[in-house]
Amino acid sequence: MIRRKLSLAAALVTATALTLTACSGGDAPAADLTSVSIMAPFLEAQPPGADGAVQKKLEELTGKQVKINWAPNASYEDKTNITLAGSDLPQVMVIQSKSPGFVKNAQAGAFWDLTDKLDKYPNLKTTFPDIQKNASVNGKVYGVFRGRSPMRSAVMFRQDWLDKLGLQPPKTVEDLYKVAKAFTEQDPDGNGQNDTYGITIPKWGALGTNSPYDLIEEWYGAGNRWTERDGKLVPSFETDEFLEADRFIKKMVDEKLINPDFATFDSTKWNEPFFNGKGGIIVDVDSRVSVLVNLFKQADPNNFQNKVGFVGNLEGPDGKLHAHPTDGYSGFLAVPKASVRTEAELDKVLDFLNTMNSKDVAILLNNGIEGVNFKAEDGKAATIKPETPEGKAVTTDIKSYAQLGMNVAGNEFYPVKQPSDYEQQVFDKRTEVMAEDLKSAVYNPAAPFVSETYVAKGAQLDNIVADARIRYLAGQIDEQGLKDAIKLWDTSGGNKVKEEINKLWQDSK
Amino acid sequence: MAAPVIDTLAGERAGKTPPAPRKGGRFSVHFAHYKWLYLLLLPGVVYFAVFRYGPMYGVSIAFKDYVPFLGVNGSPWVGFRNFQDFFANPDFPRLLGNTLILAFLNLGVAFPLTIIMALLLNEVRLSILKRTVQTLVYIPHFLSWTIVASLSFLLFALDIGPLFQFLNNTMGTSIDFLSDPAWFRPLIVLQEIWKNTGWGTIIFLAALATVDQDQYEAAIIDGAGRFRRVWHITLPAIRSTIIVMLILAIGQMLNTGFEQIYLMTNALNREVADVFDTYVYFVGITQGAYSYSTAVGLFKSLVGIVLIFGTNWLAKRFNQSGLF
Repeated sequence: MIRRKLSLAAALVTATALTLTACSGGDAPAADLTSVSIMAPFLEAQPPGADGAVQKKLEELTGKQVKINWAPNASYEDKTNITLAGSDLPQVMVIQSKSPGFVKNAQAGAFWDLTDKLDKYPNLKTTFPDIQKNASVNGKVYGVFRGRSPMRSAVMFRQDWLDKLGLQPPKTVEDLYKVAKAFTEQDPDGNGQNDTYGITIPKWGALGTNSPYDLIEEWYGAGNRWTERDGKLVPSFETDEFLEADRFIKKMVDEKLINPDFATFDSTKWNEPFFNGKGGIIVDVDSRVSVLVNLFKQADPNNFQNKVGFVGNLEGPDGKLHAHPTDGYSGFLAVPKASVRTEAELDKVLDFLNTMNSKDVAILLNNGIEGVNFKAEDGKAATIKPETPEGKAVTTDIKSYAQLGMNVAGNEFYPVKQPSDYEQQVFDKRTEVMAEDLKSAVYNPAAPFVSETYVAKGAQLDNIVADARIRYLAGQIDEQGLKDAIKLWDTSGGNKVKEEINKLWQDSK
Repeated sequence: MAAPVIDTLAGERAGKTPPAPRKGGRFSVHFAHYKWLYLLLLPGVVYFAVFRYGPMYGVSIAFKDYVPFLGVNGSPWVGFRNFQDFFANPDFPRLLGNTLILAFLNLGVAFPLTIIMALLLNEVRLSILKRTVQTLVYIPHFLSWTIVASLSFLLFALDIGPLFQFLNNTMGTSIDFLSDPAWFRPLIVLQEIWKNTGWGTIIFLAALATVDQDQYEAAIIDGAGRFRRVWHITLPAIRSTIIVMLILAIGQMLNTGFEQIYLMTNALNREVADVFDTYVYFVGITQGAYSYSTAVGLFKSLVGIVLIFGTNWLAKRFNQSGLF
């Protein structure tokens, strides 16, 4: 099936490519850029319409007709690969990760190399060169990265349960175990039944995706994907701390402190056990704290305070805090050479991106339209109440438009003013805790490096270890089985990956 | 695919085989004589040329290192490297094994069940009951695999699924159907049976309708019971249909149903769940390894062709009319 579709696509590509080249003969100077096409993901149920207020304002601010091709986030990776194989490429593409498909195309010259270009544009010149390096392919910058706050890991728990059992918020991984055990065994909801468990973990197995497993492993000191041992970079899963951490998680699985269906539990239902009083702890990004608070608020607007408690990263058994940061970016906006053919055209597209990254547009994309859905109050964006239909439409639309924000010099838009004092307190505490944890962040030293073998078969390789980890936790294989899987990673190509990464690392020093 | 074959057979039975064209000169006469039939044939030929044969040009990327930016023609040739990589891959024996086991399970369980179901339906004398049952068993065919998978998840979910609870209460066993590798294949076959058995009976019921009723009457007079009649009259009468359907089923056998398997796969059962189709999707579409996955898909097609010719040869050896 798939192969057939692909080959059909391939056949069509060449057919259209021939027509295209026929049309674009001659070296006429680039016509003035009147419209820009962008491909971007959306995370909501529906993409924004093409005639919304945000769209109009965006075209007004940039002075261009902006054609956005929204693709659902869940299948965005597929869509990216298929678009790259097609003929109708947009002028700007949001690339979500340095996936093998992207890297291969980039190395073949499908995207403009922007390494020496971005600094010429005031709004594209980053104030975080390390993050720009992380987003590069071995030092070559192929896009304007979409900045994300690097520290987001948190542990959230039912504060009411904690209070009822007279416990303290966890500080170390050992505390996490104690709280989870108490939540499981001491009837925290007081209904006299043994119907609660500690931690909820959804189906989320892949390595290095900031999953709860990744977080706990990093807290144990296994590093962030890669870590330096004896002057060499090794993958985190080849450290003793990784095994130690997984032993710890397995202990919790075995004692039923974690939901037994963790290998199949649908991640879109992650909040439900927490809200319904089944599972009392979630290990995820701190923004989920506010989502959870909001859930309780919707159910009972008068009595939602003190339901959700949270702390940041936890100390490992060595008594040190190894906080887990992301790579600081969520993909980047790249410019394909197939749709932007000359340097002059590239210049115009980058100029457009420069405008997109201005303060005005950043506010539009993230806060909305002042006077319609928000007003600025002491440096914060407060939602206008009561919400008008127009305001609501803008608020909905910007959830998708925010995907176009780059913020390479930090967030220039307003932080959102929370609707109540309690929520504002939670928000401020989040900011504070994350800023504090950032000081102890352990970054991925191999983030900028892309090894050739990894491009060829990295994802299959990683799957060996990722699946083994879940199977070990579920009791399908023992620790020896997990170690064997890690060895298999080595012998199936992992050794080459290590060699290449270390070489790139040495060369970059 | 099925329809033209049946038509051919019907044509042969009716003795309407047209005279074969002999040599160049005779062909134009022949063609002029049958021009309307050829015109009827044209859409089918165009369909196959455009949608089946045309795309085969893309198969060439199995022998290239295809990079979309460079295009099919611009990508460098690499000979059989993709195939070598695949055969040397530790995944290969597992994929081949999983695909074949699932395929034979589906064929070995679901195919006979279809015939049995058709025979049972054929024996129902009450017309209204027969029609009602027939309609009811067709319905699952029209549900997508996504719905079937969601239903399975609801029924078998750990701790909360009704079937899980039922088994837990009555037998005290708590089986995690959805992630236990031992239960993966039974679940897949069960789903396949639930969804497609009813639909598959259509052709057999049509064949059963053509069986000569006089033979039954004669058999009844001779004192043959129901099972005797089924065994000695019904089954031999639809034997050629069964053989043709079997060959067709074997041709489709390796298409293990991408959606169904993809939806039921998770980290705990991937060991037994990975088949060629899901693997091609995983490495081809999500990882962008187009050439490699095309090679895998091409290999799958080769195995499929070997199976079809093998069965056809076997059918002929046992004095049955084969498909070709």
